[in-house]
Amino acid sequence: MKLTDVMSGAGLAIYAEIALIIFLVVFLLIALRTWWPTRRKELEDHGGMPLDDGRQAGAAHGRRTP
Amino acid sequence: MSASANTGRMEQFTYDDAIVRKFAWATVIWGIVGMLVGVILALQLPKPEANLGLPYTTFGRLRPLHTNAVIFAFAGNAIFTGVYYSLQRLLKARMFSDLLSKLHFWGWQFIIVAAAITLPLGYSQGKEYAELEWPIDISIALVWVIFGVNFFGTVAKRRERHLFVAIWFYIASIITVAILHIFNSMAIPVEFLKSYSVYAGVQDAFMQWWYGHNAVAFFLTTPFLGMMYYFMPKAADRPVFSYRLSILHFWTLVFMYIWAGPHHLHYTALPEWASTLGMLFSVMLWMPSWGGMVNGLLTLRGAWHKVADDVVLKFFVAAVTFYGMSTFEGPMMSIKSVNSLSHYTDWTIAHVHGGALGWNGLLTAGMLYWLAPRLFQTRLYSKKLAELHFWGGTVGILLYMVAMYVSGVTQGLMWRAFDETGRLTHPDFVETVLRLVPFYWVRLVGGLMYFGGMCLMAYNLAMTWRARPAKYEEPVYEAPALSSQPVPAEKIVSPMEEEKAPVAGVAYSLEKFLLAAWHRRWERLPVVFSVWVAVAVIVASLFEIIPTFLIRSNVPTISSVTPYSPLELLGRDIYIREGCYNCHSQMVRPMRAETERYGEYSKPGEFVYDHPFQWGSRRIGPDLHRVGGKYPHLWHVRHMENPRSTTPQSIMPPYPWLLTDDTGYSKVQGRVNAMAMLGVPYGESINRAGEFARQQARQIGSEIAAQGGPGGLADKEIVALIAYMQRLGTDIKKAPAEPPGQPVKTAEAR
Repeated sequence: MKLTDVMSGAGLAIYAEIALIIFLVVFLLIALRTWWPTRRKELEDHGGMPLDDGRQAGAAHGRRTP
Repeated sequence: MSASANTGRMEQFTYDDAIVRKFAWATVIWGIVGMLVGVILALQLPKPEANLGLPYTTFGRLRPLHTNAVIFAFAGNAIFTGVYYSLQRLLKARMFSDLLSKLHFWGWQFIIVAAAITLPLGYSQGKEYAELEWPIDISIALVWVIFGVNFFGTVAKRRERHLFVAIWFYIASIITVAILHIFNSMAIPVEFLKSYSVYAGVQDAFMQWWYGHNAVAFFLTTPFLGMMYYFMPKAADRPVFSYRLSILHFWTLVFMYIWAGPHHLHYTALPEWASTLGMLFSVMLWMPSWGGMVNGLLTLRGAWHKVADDVVLKFFVAAVTFYGMSTFEGPMMSIKSVNSLSHYTDWTIAHVHGGALGWNGLLTAGMLYWLAPRLFQTRLYSKKLAELHFWGGTVGILLYMVAMYVSGVTQGLMWRAFDETGRLTHPDFVETVLRLVPFYWVRLVGGLMYFGGMCLMAYNLAMTWRARPAKYEEPVYEAPALSSQPVPAEKIVSPMEEEKAPVAGVAYSLEKFLLAAWHRRWERLPVVFSVWVAVAVIVASLFEIIPTFLIRSNVPTISSVTPYSPLELLGRDIYIREGCYNCHSQMVRPMRAETERYGEYSKPGEFVYDHPFQWGSRRIGPDLHRVGGKYPHLWHVRHMENPRSTTPQSIMPPYPWLLTDDTGYSKVQGRVNAMAMLGVPYGESINRAGEFARQQARQIGSEIAAQGGPGGLADKEIVALIAYMQRLGTDIKKAPAEPPGQPVKTAEAR
């Protein structure tokens, strides 16, 4: 018996719909996690990372790209 | 930002901007080459003689060169420019290895040159955006691994604990492009520059558009989004509007994009469930994509006044707006009823150029104008020229797109129009093509304007480069090293638990989960993060691939369908070499307008021996799936020698070399053997392919002579091509083949 025979006889008609629901649920969990109020400050602070190029040796502060 | 995770020991380092300069120049040069080829192709549509009568410059051979040059050479080098610049600064670390950076650069340029040589010579796998032959495919994989090692090596030696969201987009791109490239390119090598896809028909089509759509997603979208999230805040001097929205944007694309590929195959022989699934996920993609667009535009909050004076911001705003337009239009076109009109028409061409020229092209230009003063350490040569580039390019895109929208809708409506007697209003296909010619001229003007803008940018950057200092300054930066200890687990206390809130214990657990310390750890652990990205992509892919490949009812077999004869196989290889699929589809959709025009709609079981499939995605010429037996052999001879001798207003280029070039029967046995390795039941031909091919060629050659055509064609390529064309779509008209166990009919028997 081939794998094709097994799969063809397995009655997987709703296979794709199950996948869709699984992915939707995972996505909703990520969305909920991202927007949970306690993470707001921590996450939004990261939004400014591109503005910091690092501190030049000998300089007092981080260097912003001119 | 993550001092608690640092050891406190200060380290000094420099950034490698030399490699960024190299990639930036490659972006400009290949952009000009790729778009010049595009302009030549745009000219060839209304003026087919613009190929100068050469086999190397026909539309079918140059179109893959154009798409590969713009996608992988122009956009590819732009990605590497942006990644190499931003990655070092976001991680406070020089690239892992300067040697690997150079190997990556020169390896990628070698691949581009190899593509530029082989594609016009006709070496092609015949799969859109994946035409390059197997040695080049292997080179791509190797260079991609070099890039990956250099990238992740840099991540490993970083001095910034948190990985900024742009880096997430880069990681997703690196992982997913590797998966897509490897699995779609699986092929059996036959000769040095010839191979056959291991997949056939429906499965090959599915894999191709799983790859093709996600090449758009993970090569032309996610890395550019990473660049948007880095360079827009830089140019606007504002932080990202909503970092949380950017996270949601990222995970949504990773989870949803990978499913959408089948929307390229609506109403084809692909199983209906896969097509519907692709449509659903495509529509779902609209909102997160617009979330990303809004996030990009709102990053300019408080800085909109700068847009009027700052050409870089102009490019970025226009690019993000085009991203929004394309990501609205894409889901709309994936809706089946819309797709039934738009598919195979210039509407799709308008859509992809809105994305490529508007989103990728303008974002790249903005990035290069922003980088030029920093990389060359001098002022930009001319802001006025940059402004001219912006306005010329933007108006050029709009001209191009409007012309293609009108052209696409016009052709789509003409194809499906019936008169009051119930017959096709435009039964002659060429009539629908001629109506488009004025729009092709407008497209050429729009394309020239955009191309002119690229040339202005090249001049502007070259003049800026000329004013560079004698020796580039290389600033030394310092940052504390990160602790080599694993990321410490954070002790999570649920606020409700701390307050001893009177709720059920499960509420504490739920709140702890949603505090998501586990995800914070992921965000700092690139390997774990990358594995989860790969899992999301692979699992989603398998949910579609496994049923398509393994459930037999998806591709019902047709007993009368038999393998191509050796001569037909050679003819099919010529069809692929000439890139016929760039203008002709081989897929009659189950719609009355199509079955009236072409004949019986195409069935999945008819393509089981098609390695690779040749369904195409555009009808500049008519569908060919039922062309077999429609015309006598001599018609094909005359048509290929000079299409206007049979169809006076045809815009197809002539192929006179097919009447003079030898077929080369010595290679047929190897090709039949390769097909047999892929499971094609070749019966007696497995040992006598050359003999059978010559026999069938003599038969066709004598029939051509009997029809009043030239003699002596039996050994010429035209006969092999005719054998293939006359076979197309005819199997379902034959009596069923013998049941299994009986010898399979060969060309001789037929």
